[in-house]
Amino acid sequence: MFWQQLLNGVALGSTYALIALGYTMVYGIITLINFAHGEIFMAGAFTGLCLVSYFKTNIFVAILAAMVVCMILGVVMEFIAYRPLRRSSRLSALISAIGVSIFLSSLALMIFGADAKGFPDTSFPVRLIRVGSAEISTLQLLIIGISALLMLALQFIVQKTKIGKAMRATSEDYNTAALMGINVNRIISFTFAIGSALAAAGGVLVGVLFNAVSFNMGLMAGLKAFAAAVLGGIGSIPGAMLGGLLLGISEVFGVAIGYSSYRDAIAFAILVLVLLIRPTGLLGKKIVKKV
Amino acid sequence: MTFKKIGMVVLAAVLAAGVFGCKKKDEAKEGAPAASGNTIKIGFLGALTGDVAMFGGPSLQGMKMAAEEINAAGGVLGKKIEIAEADNRGDKQEGASITQKFISRDKVVAIIGDPTTGITKVAAPIAQKAGVVLLSGGSTGPGVVENGDFIYRDTLLDSVAIPACIGYFANTLKFRNVAVITSDNNDYSVGLSQTFRDAAKSVPEIKIVADEKVKDGDKDFSAQITNIKGKNPDVIFFSGYYTEGALIMKEARKQGMKAVMFGGDGLFSPKFIELGGPAVEGSMVALGFSPEQGSPETTKFVADFKKKYNEVPGVFAAQAYDSMLLLADAMKRANSTDPKVFKNELAKTKNFKGASGTITIRANREPIKSPLSLLMVKDGKFVLKSTVAVKME
Repeated sequence: MFWQQLLNGVALGSTYALIALGYTMVYGIITLINFAHGEIFMAGAFTGLCLVSYFKTNIFVAILAAMVVCMILGVVMEFIAYRPLRRSSRLSALISAIGVSIFLSSLALMIFGADAKGFPDTSFPVRLIRVGSAEISTLQLLIIGISALLMLALQFIVQKTKIGKAMRATSEDYNTAALMGINVNRIISFTFAIGSALAAAGGVLVGVLFNAVSFNMGLMAGLKAFAAAVLGGIGSIPGAMLGGLLLGISEVFGVAIGYSSYRDAIAFAILVLVLLIRPTGLLGKKIVKKV
Repeated sequence: MTFKKIGMVVLAAVLAAGVFGCKKKDEAKEGAPAASGNTIKIGFLGALTGDVAMFGGPSLQGMKMAAEEINAAGGVLGKKIEIAEADNRGDKQEGASITQKFISRDKVVAIIGDPTTGITKVAAPIAQKAGVVLLSGGSTGPGVVENGDFIYRDTLLDSVAIPACIGYFANTLKFRNVAVITSDNNDYSVGLSQTFRDAAKSVPEIKIVADEKVKDGDKDFSAQITNIKGKNPDVIFFSGYYTEGALIMKEARKQGMKAVMFGGDGLFSPKFIELGGPAVEGSMVALGFSPEQGSPETTKFVADFKKKYNEVPGVFAAQAYDSMLLLADAMKRANSTDPKVFKNELAKTKNFKGASGTITIRANREPIKSPLSLLMVKDGKFVLKSTVAVKME
C-alpha cells in the first residue's frame, strides 16, 4: 500500500511540477508571478480534449498540439498584457495577470459550459502492471514518463543551448544582459512559450488522469503549483520539480492516513512552514539586494 | 482630465443607485408577503448553471409544467400562478440573496426549492423569518424542516429510503462489505452517510469496511481508492453528487476494483453516465421516483412531460411538479393565498397522489412517500431494477 500511495503521489506531483516550472521560469526572469498560468494549463487541457474527442487524434498528438497552441497563447498573453507594463510597477503587471486569468476562465466558461468534461475512454488504454506489492497503471507510467522527459528537455535547453544561456543571463541581471547584446524581449517571449507548453502538457495529462476538464480547474492547480514553486525556491528550476513532487506526495499521504478534509490545507501548511524556516525555499538562492 | 471627470460621474451614479437600491429593499421588507392582484407568485430556487444544474434545470421544467396545467384549468382561487426564477449556480451565498430577492422584491407567497439540501438549509431560516412557505422538491438530508413551520419538502427522505435499501442489499443482492465515501463539504452527503452508518448498525450482515472522505470539486481520488481497494468491498456507498461519483468509479476501475457504486439521488443524472462511461455500469441509485413505477399519475405525468420537453422526466422534475400541485392543493383547501393560512393546510396533506408517488406530511412536518425506486445503470442508461414499498404511517 505504501508503494502504491507513493506512486499516486508521484503521478500527482509530476503534474504540479510541470505547472510550477512555468511560474518559476517567468519569475526568474521578470520577477512576475504570472497568475494566468493556471488558465494556460486549463486551456491546454481543453485543447487536448477537443482534439481527442472531435478529431479523434492520438493522445500524444493531442499533447504536442496543445503545447503548440498554448505556446502561442502564452506569447500573445505576454505581448498584450505584460509587455506594455514592463516599465511600470510590479503591482500593475500582477493585476494585469489576474485580469488575464479571469478573462481566460470566463471565456472557457462561455465556450465549454460549467460542467466537467471527461476524456473518452479510448483515448488511452489503461492496463495494470504488477510490480512487487504495487500495481502501476499504464496511465501513471505515461504521466511520470512524459513529465520526466519534458523536464529533462527543459534542463537541456536551459543548461546546454545558447538560448538557455541567454535565459540564465537575463535571469541573473536583466539590464546587463541587455547591454551584452541579448535580445531580452525575445528571451522573455521564449520563456513564456516554454512555460506555457509545459503547463499545456500538464493540462492534458491531468485531464486524462482525472477525467475531468472544467473551466475552473486552473485556479486550484495554479495555486498549488505556485505553492510548489515557492516551496522549491521560486526562480529555481530544479526547485520547482522537487517542490511539485513533494507537494503531490505529501498531499496523497495526507489523504491516505485520513486527513482528506485538509487536502488543500496540507499544501499550504507546508508552504507556510517552509517559508518560516527557510524563506528562500528548499533550493532557492539567497537574495542579495542590489542597490 | 476629461476621463477622470467622467469616471467621477459614473462612480457617483453607481453609489447613488446603490443607496437608492438599499432603500427600496428596506421599504419592501415592511410589506407583508401576500398575493396581490390577480397572480400568485411562486419563486424557483435552484441552479440553472454550474455543477448541480442537473438538479435545478429539470425542477424548473416540472414547476413550469404544473403551473401551466393549473393556469389552464382556471388557476388557484381565480388567480394565475406566476413563477419568479433566478439562477443560484449551486452557490449558498447566491441562494441566500436570491431567497431575499424573492421575498422582498418579487413578493412571492412560496418558494419551491432548492433541490439540494445544503442551499435549502441556507434559504429555510430566511423564508421562515419572512413568513413565506418554502417547499423543497429535492432535499433529502436532515436539518431542513427543523427550521420552522413554513418549511416543507415532498421528497423521499434518506432516513426512510436507506434502511429500506440496506435490507434489500443484504437479503436479495447478498452484499456484505461496504466502503462508505463521504463528500465532507457537502451537507447532503454528510447527512446521508450518517444515515447509512446508523441504518447499517441494525443489519448484522452488512459490514462497513472503509470510511473515506472526499470533497466536492476534488479531481484526484487515487489515495482514497488505494485505501479502499485493500479492504475489498462488494459495494462502494458514495453519498455525494454525480460528478465526483463518476470520477471515483473511473479511478476505481483504473486501479482494477470490481465493486459497483450505490448512492442517493445525488448520483442521479445523465452526467453520471456520460462522465463515468463503462466504469459506472451496474451502479445503483435509490430514488423517490422512477418514470416506470406504474401509477396512473406517474404515467400521465411522464407522457405529458415527454410531449412538452421531448425527454423523460427525472426525480427532480417530478418532485418540483408535485411541489407546485401540493401548494395549489393547500391554497384551495385553505381558501387563501396567504402563506400564514395555507401552510397549515399544507401540513395536513395526507395520501396526496402525486406524479412522484403518494405523499403524506407527518406530524413532525417531514414527508413520507412510497414507493422507493432502485435504479441501475445498464447499457449506459438508468433502468428500474426494483421498487421497494415504503410503509406509510
